[in-house]
Parts: sequence; C-alpha cells; structure tokens
Amino acid sequence: MPDALLDKVRAAVGAPNVLTGVELSPYVVEGRTPEAAVFPGSVDEVAAVIGLAAEAARPVTPWGGGTAASVGMPAAPGGFVLGLRRLSRLLEHEPGDLTASAEAGMTVDAFQTALRGRGQWVSLDPADARLATLGGVLATNASGPRRHLYGTARDLLIGLTVVTADGAIVRGGGKVVKNVAGYDLPKLFVGSYGTLGVIVEATVKLRPLPDHERLLCIPFDRLKDAGAAVRALLAGDLIPNAIELLDAAAGAALGAEGPALVVGFDGLREQVDWQCAELTRLAASCGGREGRPLPDDTWPRLETAARAAFPAATAFMAFSVLPSQVADLMEQGAGAARARGLASAWAAHAGVGVVRAALASDVRPKEPAALAGVLTDWRDLARAGGGHGTLEWVPLAVKSQVPVWDDPGAAGRIMERIKAQLDPRNILNPGRFVAGI
Amino acid sequence: MATLTASAKRDLRHELEAIVGPGAVLSDPDELLVYESDGLTLFRALADFVLFPTSVEHVAAIVKLANREKLPFVARGAGTGLSGGCLPAEGGIVISLMRMNRVLEVDYDNQIAVVEPGLVNLHLSWKVGPHGYYYAPDPSSQQACTIGGNIANNSGGPHTLKYGVTTNHVLGLEVVMPDGEIVWLGGKTRDANGYDLAGVFVGSEGTFGIATKIVVRILKKPQAVKTVLAVFDEIDRASEAVSAVIGRGLVPAAMEMIDHLTIQAVEDAFGCGYPRDADAALLIELDGLTVGMEPQAERIVAACREAGAREIRTAKNEAERLLLWKGRKSAFGAYGRISPAYMVMDGVIPRTKLPYVLHRVNEIVAAAGLRVGNVFHAGDGNLHPNLLYDPRKPGDEARVVAAGAEIMKVCAEVGGSISGEHGIGLEKSDFMPFIFSAADLAFMHRLKGAFNPTGLCNPGKIFPTKKSCGEAGAVAYRPHPIEEKGLAQRF
Amino acid sequence: MHASSHGTLPTSSEPLTLHGLSVEGVNQCVHCGLCLAYCPTFSELGTEMDSPRGRIFLVKSLAEGRMTMSDSTVRHLSLCLDCRACETVCPAGVPYGRLIEAAKAEIERRRPGGPIRRIFRWLNFGLLLGHPRLLALAASGARLYQTSGLQALARRSGLIRRLPGTLPAWDALLPTVPAKAERAAPPRLTPAEGPRRARVALLTGCVQSVIFGAHNRATVRVLAKNGCDVVVPEGQGCCGALNAHGGDHARALAMARSTIDTFEAAGVEAVIVNTSGCGAHMKAYGHLLADDPAYAERAKRFAASVKDLAEFLAREPLRGPLSPVPLTCTYHDPCHVVHGQKIKSEPRQLLAQIPGLRLVELAESDWCCGSAGIYNLTQPEMATRLLHRKVGHVLATKAEAVVTANPGCILQIQTGLGAHDAKIDVLHLVEILDRAYGGPGDGGNGR
Repeated sequence: MPDALLDKVRAAVGAPNVLTGVELSPYVVEGRTPEAAVFPGSVDEVAAVIGLAAEAARPVTPWGGGTAASVGMPAAPGGFVLGLRRLSRLLEHEPGDLTASAEAGMTVDAFQTALRGRGQWVSLDPADARLATLGGVLATNASGPRRHLYGTARDLLIGLTVVTADGAIVRGGGKVVKNVAGYDLPKLFVGSYGTLGVIVEATVKLRPLPDHERLLCIPFDRLKDAGAAVRALLAGDLIPNAIELLDAAAGAALGAEGPALVVGFDGLREQVDWQCAELTRLAASCGGREGRPLPDDTWPRLETAARAAFPAATAFMAFSVLPSQVADLMEQGAGAARARGLASAWAAHAGVGVVRAALASDVRPKEPAALAGVLTDWRDLARAGGGHGTLEWVPLAVKSQVPVWDDPGAAGRIMERIKAQLDPRNILNPGRFVAGI
Repeated sequence: MATLTASAKRDLRHELEAIVGPGAVLSDPDELLVYESDGLTLFRALADFVLFPTSVEHVAAIVKLANREKLPFVARGAGTGLSGGCLPAEGGIVISLMRMNRVLEVDYDNQIAVVEPGLVNLHLSWKVGPHGYYYAPDPSSQQACTIGGNIANNSGGPHTLKYGVTTNHVLGLEVVMPDGEIVWLGGKTRDANGYDLAGVFVGSEGTFGIATKIVVRILKKPQAVKTVLAVFDEIDRASEAVSAVIGRGLVPAAMEMIDHLTIQAVEDAFGCGYPRDADAALLIELDGLTVGMEPQAERIVAACREAGAREIRTAKNEAERLLLWKGRKSAFGAYGRISPAYMVMDGVIPRTKLPYVLHRVNEIVAAAGLRVGNVFHAGDGNLHPNLLYDPRKPGDEARVVAAGAEIMKVCAEVGGSISGEHGIGLEKSDFMPFIFSAADLAFMHRLKGAFNPTGLCNPGKIFPTKKSCGEAGAVAYRPHPIEEKGLAQRF
Repeated sequence: MHASSHGTLPTSSEPLTLHGLSVEGVNQCVHCGLCLAYCPTFSELGTEMDSPRGRIFLVKSLAEGRMTMSDSTVRHLSLCLDCRACETVCPAGVPYGRLIEAAKAEIERRRPGGPIRRIFRWLNFGLLLGHPRLLALAASGARLYQTSGLQALARRSGLIRRLPGTLPAWDALLPTVPAKAERAAPPRLTPAEGPRRARVALLTGCVQSVIFGAHNRATVRVLAKNGCDVVVPEGQGCCGALNAHGGDHARALAMARSTIDTFEAAGVEAVIVNTSGCGAHMKAYGHLLADDPAYAERAKRFAASVKDLAEFLAREPLRGPLSPVPLTCTYHDPCHVVHGQKIKSEPRQLLAQIPGLRLVELAESDWCCGSAGIYNLTQPEMATRLLHRKVGHVLATKAEAVVTANPGCILQIQTGLGAHDAKIDVLHLVEILDRAYGGPGDGGNGR
C-alpha cells in the first residue's frame, strides 16, 4: 500500500487507529494478511476511509467481532480491514416504542445488557454474542434457536445507516416498525456480507423480556421418532420459541443420551408449565423417553451443537430445507459420511428447516478429495428437496473444489447487477459472496 | 410517453390478442375509462390497453412486447390501492392479474402455500381455514385486495403489531422481470441464498417486475382469542393507554383506535355496538394459548383503566368479535355516509408521540376549516387521519391537499415516516425528500437500475418527478394532475 | 402535498339523473372496492366494468355525459344481475339497486334494440305480465306444447337449437306447466285455525301462480295454521318487479299503482309475499312513487305493510303440532330476500323448528344462482356459469333437497341439478312448513 494512502487514512482516523505489520495478526484469514487494519471512530470517519479506498481502488473488508471472518470464498488479497469496534454506542432506546438504535460495532451482548435494564430485548440469539457485533450479525444474518418464534435479523431490522462503496452515507428504513416508504434497504443489507455497503448504525424492533423461559430435552431411541414428534408439535397448539433436533453425537455434547428433541417455551409461568407437560405427553406418544429441563447456559450452545460434538471439527455446513425434510437429511447425510469412512454430527432448528452438520476432526491428513466428496453429497441431498447448502467452515484447499455458496440460479444474475450498480468498482469484500460477487 | 397512432394501436391489439386471447384485451376508450383510477379517484390516467393474462408465459410475452415497443406497463390487482400505485401514469399497458387467482398448492406440514397474485387476500385464509390455518397479514381491504397488491405495497393491517407485515410472510416469488425474463426470487425455504431478493422485491410497488407466483407462510390459528373494546372520554387518554399497555410488557395481537367522528359513521353504516358518545375507543385483541389468556387480558384492562378508560367491554363470542372488527375494517367506506368526500393520510410515528401528533393534526385540520376522522393502527403508530371535505365547495380540495402536506411534515419531524402501508405510489412521491436525503434517493435509484434499467416497469412512482433528485435518464417534468386542475402548487 | 382523496370530482352542481331518475347515489361511492369480491359477475370475469364499482362508474360517467351509451357500456351494464350483494357489503351505503335500474331504463330508451327484441319485450312486459288472464292463456298454450309431444319433437329434431337469439334458453327453462286445475288460485278468504292473531293478504304473483300455484295454496294453509285470516284479493296483477328490473319503468309505475289499489281495498295489516323479487320491489314502492302526489303517502304505508313470509312467521314460534320432516337439506338465499330485504336468519330459524329436519349450510348461499328475474333468458351464458357454481356447492353439501323461497331460483336450480343428473329435490320453504303441518305435499313444482 502506498505510504501516501496510509498517511491519508491515518489523518482521517488518527494514527493509533491504523494497525500495520505484526499488529495485523488477529486479522489474518486463511493465510491472507491485509495491508492495514483501520478503526474509524465515527460514521464520518468510516465514510472518509471508504472514500479513500474507493479512490485508490483498494478492497475493503468490514470487520465486526471477526466471528465470521473465514466464511465465504477467499477474498481478493490486499486492501484494508475496516474495523467497527470503536462505533459501539447505544444511540437510542425508547421502551414505549419498543425500538432501539445502536452503532454497528456494539456487541450483541452489550446491546442486550443495555436493553435488559428496561425489561426488553432484541429477539436475536446468535452464537458468540460476546464477540459478534450488531453490524456483523446483520451482515451475515446470524441467528440462533429462538428464530423459530421470533424470526431473524431480516424480521427485526427496521432502519439502518450504511456507508456506500463510494463513501456516501445513506439511510434506509426508519425508526418506526411499519414503514413502506421507498425500497426495503434493510432487507437488501441483511445477509449481504458487507458486499453492498458497510453498516454503521442500525435500528431494531424490541420485545418485552418474557416472564419465564425453559428448555426441555427429550431423548429418543431413534432420530426418526424425534422427527415425528416435531411434525406433531408443529401441527398442534403449542407455541415453542425453539425446536431443536439433535442426533446422538450432537446430543451427547449437550448431555443428552442419544438423539434428542430440545424445545424451548417462554411466557407466563403457567404457560410454560402447561406447554412442557403437553410436550412430554406428545413426545411420549412418539416414543420419547423422560424429558428434563436443561440449564440456561445450554441456550448459547445450541447454535453450534453440531460442531461442538468434535474437539475441532474439520468442516461444517449449514442447510436450508423444508421442515418436513429435516430428519431425513440428518439421517441420510450421516449415512453419506459414513459411506466415506467419516463421522459427522447433526443438529437442526427443525421448525424452520435449518440444519447444521459437522465432520469429525479425525480425518487423516485433511484429504480434500474425501471431504469434498462428502460435502458435495450433502449439498446434493439438500438440493434434491429444493433447498441449498452453505459451507460455513472448511480448509482452504477444499474451497477450490467445493463452492462455499450454493448456485443461485438465474437470480444470481440479478445479484450481479445489484452489485454492479452499488459497488461498481468492486471494492467491498470482492469475490467473497454468492455468484462470485 | 408513448403516443400510439390508431393503426399502431390496431396492430398491437392483434398481437396482444394472439398472446392472451381475444376476450382478454381491452382497448376501447369506454372500457379503459374504469381503469383510470385505483382506490383514489383524485388521480386518473388512461392506459392504451388493459390485458388479462392467465399464465406467467402470457405475462412474460406481454412484457417482452412492451420492451420491444418501448411501452410502459404496470400490473394491477383489485385496484383498491390508496396511492395511485397501479395507474398507468405514462399510458401504455395495464396488466390485470385478476384472472390469475388460484391457490396452486398448500403444504400444511411445512405451513406454506403457493398462490397466484390475483387471489383475494381473505380467500386464502378461507381456503386454509377449515384445516385450522390462516394467512396473517390482514389489511382492512382484505375482502377485496389481492396478494399481488399486498406484495407491491408490503401491506400491513391491524394484526401486524404482533405478526409483522407481508414481507415477514413471504418466502419466495416467481417474477417476470422488467425485461421479460422469468426468475425465482427466494423459494420455499426460510433462508435466502445470497441477497434477499424476495425481501427487496416486496414493497417495491411494482417497479421491479411482476410477481406471478408467491410462496407465503400460513400460520396455525391461535388456540384462543380475546377482543376488548376500551372506551374513553378523551382521545388523549386513549393514546396514553396504548403506551401503557406496551409498558406492561404486553404485545397484543392488535390495537386499533377509532375516534368519535368515525364511530358515528360506522354506527350509521353497520351498528356494530360502538358507543356513540365516546371520544375514542381502542379495539384490542389478544391471541395465543388459552392458558394465561385471562391474566394477560387483566393486565390490559388494568392498563386501560389506569389510563382513564370509562368502560371496557369484552366480545363474548365469535359473532360479537367479528362485528367489532367489521366496524373497524369498514370505517373508510363508512365515511361516505357523513361526508361527500375524504382524503386518507397514511403516516407513521413512534407510538410514544401519538398524543402530540394527534393534537397537531387537529390543529392543522381546524386551521384549514375541515373535519378529521381518525381510525388507525395505534399499536404500531400507523395513523390514518381522514380529512373530510366537500369537493363542490370551492377551495376545499386545495385546503385538504395543503393540510395533508403539513401532517406529513409533522410525521417526519417526530422521527416517523410518510407511509406505513399504503405505499408512496403517485400520491406521495414528492414527499420523499421529507424523510430521505438526496444520497438516499440516489442509492435507491441505483438499486432500481439493477431491476428496471429501461424504466418501463411502472414509471412515475415512488421517486419525486422533479429532476433534482439526480435521476439518470431524465424524465421530463410533468405537472401533477392536481396541479393541472389548479388545485395545488409545488412548495 | 398530494394526499389521497376519496369521493369523486363533480363536473357540475346539477343533481345527477338518468332517464329522469336520480342517480345521486353514485357520489356516495368512495371507490373502496369492497364490493368486488362479492359480485358474481366480477368473480367470473375479473373485469372492472363487470363489478359494482365499475358499473357505478359507468352510470356516473353516463349521467355526467363523460361517456356515451356504446355497445360495450350496454353490455357491461346488462350483465349486472341486480342481485344487490354489493349493497350488503358496501360501507358507504350506495343504493346500487336503484342506480342499475335507472341505468337499465336509460338503456331501454336509448338502445331499444332491433324489432325482434322490442317485440319480445312488449310481449313479456306489456302483454303477459300486465294481463294475468293472457298469462294464464299462454300457460295453457305452453302446457299444450308440452303434453302434445311437440316440445319433445322439437328438442329431438334439433329444431330448438336453430332458433334465433335466446329462444333455446327459453325452452330449456320452460318448466312443466301443471294442469289447469293445479293452477287455480287459492280461495278468496281462508279463516284462521285456532285463535286469530292477524288478518293478512297474499300476493299470488305472476309466474308463481301459473307454475307454482301449489306453493300459494301451501302458503295460505301455513298462515291459517298460524292464526291468520288470509285474504287473496281477486283481480290482483303483477307487482311490476320484472318490469322495473328490466328497465320498463313506465309500466312498472302503473303496475305499482294498481297493486296498491287492489291491496288497500283488502284492509289487511300485512301483505305477505312468498317470492323474493316481488317482496323487495314492493317494499320500495315508497321510493318508486315518491314523486306522485296521489300515491306517495299510500305507497309508503303499503310498503311498510309488505312482509316476506319467513320474516312474518319468524316473529313468533310456529304453532304446533309439527310433524317430523326427516330430510337433510340446504338453504339457498334468494338475492332479493337476503340482499334486497336483509332477511337471512329468519328462514333458518323456521327450518330449525321442524323436527327431524337437518340443515347443512350452503357455501356461497347468498350468491345469485343466475335466475335473477329473466336474466337467465337474456344472459344465458353468464347465468349458466353462475348456475354451475351454485350446483357445485349444492352437491358438496350432500343434501337431499335444496330449500329456497323464490320460483325463479327453484326453476333455475332444478335445471342445473338436472344437467348434473342429480336426484336432489328443490323445494320452496313453505312446502317444508306445509309438510310439517300434514298438508298435501303437492307436486306442481315443475318436475
């Protein structure tokens, strides 16, 4: 990177907020080192830095807590890491309106703590909430088990401020829960992995904290029976906030014996009690054994239940399929892995059809071919039902054999056009996303 | 703007008939006249053709032909929209989706349905009702409006407080793009692969293409429902009650406010049991498990009493509940009984600003010498002040237009928005600068360029028509219909 | 600021009229569109001009001189069933029925059609409906046509299909005309059985008395069982409903006056009607004759005394004893009872009192069957589409019988069920009541 450019960046954000050389080690991803890591302290500073990057046609990698840094296709080399951690203030919390605004670099935990003080929360429960930032969660559409009842970031984000690829500051949505003025920019940015703009502020819908909450674990002899229980649960009157299906490996990691159905309820105590009793009856009629409540600290472990089954999983993948296909995918996927001599663990948000799988860590010298084979088999299984699969983590060598992202079909061309319109110089996370964007 | 010669029109008519069939093309001026407006009769625009396709292939062929001839085109559902969104502002083709109105598939296990755009919103709930399911987004016009129209405007309704708006219930769309290509955005599974194109399409007011199949979520009907009418002697108390309910940690399924004037109209029309002497009434609905319904209802009643409700009535059965809702849902039409004409606003404000904004609205309306009826989604701050006037009284219309602008400004001032659910369309495009900067509008315009580069798909909507917003591809300035009538001026 | 406006821009301050009749009601329409999904023709066609909102727009445009009476305008207005389902849902209270009748009157004035059509209209509206004795004569002729085997021959040979215009539809719908004895009017006075509670008159109707004389006799019996002295005035004519709905306004006025004269003389507290169109139309006599100083007040009083049979009987529990009528049936609401008079629960209340009777609700029970007066003769294609829709719903109930309260509906639904080879009876409400009272379950329903 030319010194002249670095100097300008230092001038924009202050020299102590620009890291180079050995200080960059936390920002090395898959062996690639950025040229600098820049930490602006305000929205205007973010805009200034991006403006400079745009002028110099340098790629920019927005960085929140870094928890999803290695997700995606290998980004183009060079350029800046743009860290948002200094933009971490709570901007507004209006309990009577059930809305709050915060800067994108605030961690999810810090945000929730601030809201809890007024008896409210944003109904998002992604993994690594201590590290993950609001902006990062929005950009990756990260979510957790309670998405079953409360939806994901796309359902909770009502307004945002972004810095666009040419350094302009743009606002979309607003501060009110119903708003159809203009295009739905919040939807555009959620899950866009920073390729269309850098999120700097966000406004979300809130909910009152529930009176009570409980997580019930019901072990089964067979996964397929647990799947039947899920189907019965979905067709009934109960209102769970989470429905998790775990195979034996994932279940064991959480302390269950064998495949397990883990269901969460919240609300008034009497509502939670009643629903737990109903669930136990319903599950028993499908072959479920005695249920027991799980400790509260199980909640944050549910999102990563599959990979937690192994000390250091070799690869993990996420699938989006129809709820009715979940149990079959889990069983057939495990079978496909076994056929290649590999062990796997499976866990799903069964009510929304989101399935995660991890491959065991004892794969001999990371044989890319075997890995690639299994992952491709898994993706094919998901696609057969009209779904898709994303590689959330694999060794770099495998990424060149199995695309990280599934094929978007004709819609990919529209995505390319959007990218071309909004980031014509292709400086924001170039090459990282779906369709080679 | 396309001007077709008589012979060009004749030739095109033949070609269009070859695509959709002879009974599906209107080009006779007498038959085009009824299509000049949607639910808003103030704005009128004549199409050159109105077509009735019955398949996605028809729609694609029509769009391709429109591209070839450089004719603008716009999709239309039931025409109940309130912002002029389906008007052929620059002539061209209106594509009516009313003959594509089937439920194609219902998958109860996965709680989704695939429907055609011309399906009436309520008919979907009727279809899945016997199985114990319903479609949650329930605009007041749901007896007539279509799913396709709901997609265009990201329609809400009273129950969006708890259940969200249309976009929270759409998983995927088959779309005919503005260039005629048929593409699926999203699908049947929950998470998008790549950008959330379905999410971006919903609410794009027909400027990104035409949806020809829609995958929606259906929900299990709640075990129990409790509907309560809280009566207030002062509308301020009712506004405070709204915040008080939320403050007690409750999110009802719906919270609707009806004011004194509206109660008179509604009682004249249907006799729903609203007390005629109330200054305001709050219709509050709770739904969920039977267990716990009573304590939650008690909390709501307590909150309302604390805020000063003089009376609280509970609907004793489904028939009573439906009657209470009938009043709310027919309120707009019922104004026809107490005023020859009215203009409905659609502003959104933070809930806590409700008392202040209602006061300002009253001030503005009184200063203009008009009356206002308020009926709206108090729970999410989505206001519908209805300004009552007499079109035969000279100057009334101009005064209403001016008052409306001031009300929109107040909404913007308090951190709200200029449209909660009716869309920007034609009617509010010039107010976009109240809430969006030039940079914001330019960004949205570039997004539009990715979908609709030629600008032929529903032109003249959403964006201000003045050139100052920096649109690429200059659109010649055309005075608004109200201006042409000498009834309003640009500020 | 451009706010949304409802209500329409008037082009002048003159009141709007068509054919001299006020159509100011168009200005009540706020264009909300709630009527669209309840309009049978819109549901079938999807075109705005075939919806109530669209038709109101056409009427308004005609009245304002913005449109001319073109072919397409005539077609769309004529396709209206005048079922008034839209009025039931309209929140603004637009008096749609009056608007469309004014429009049809104007159509007749400006576009009377060719000579054959004019002759037909004169034959029906002028001659037959206006003169009960001629109608009876025509009925005898029709009976001869049927019993002599001529009709069967005409059908077999295909001659019917070659007839011009809508004549084939006429033949298809022609019910079996009962024998002359069957067509006799009920006695002029039938005293109440048991304690007397009212003195009422019965409108015997035109088509009703010719084809369904049995229903009139059953009505008299049922009313008598429920404590009514029943007067059947002699020399009563047609009430004029078909004329008014068909745009024959002048004759409709004359028939109204004549009907009022006849029934006033009877000195009764209620005029009972067992057909739907007549009931609705006579209840509107006050409006029809509002501009006639000699009749205005009398018409209002008369209109207030008109009662639909179900409306009248449902005021008190039916007098016993009632014998069981073991039947699974479903109820079709005739348009001009349910929409024209807002009577929906009363027929069901009556049926609920009949022991052994099981009622299954009919989907779209208040949707027009396509009979709509003589609509099935003038617009056979749409009438058939709506009939198929109705029959589909009837078959879905798996009922043994369809019960309704209008001769036109009975004939129409019978035709539809026949086309499906369905062995389902179509009965008048009063036939069920009559059976419960042990009275003769006369035939005479045209099957």
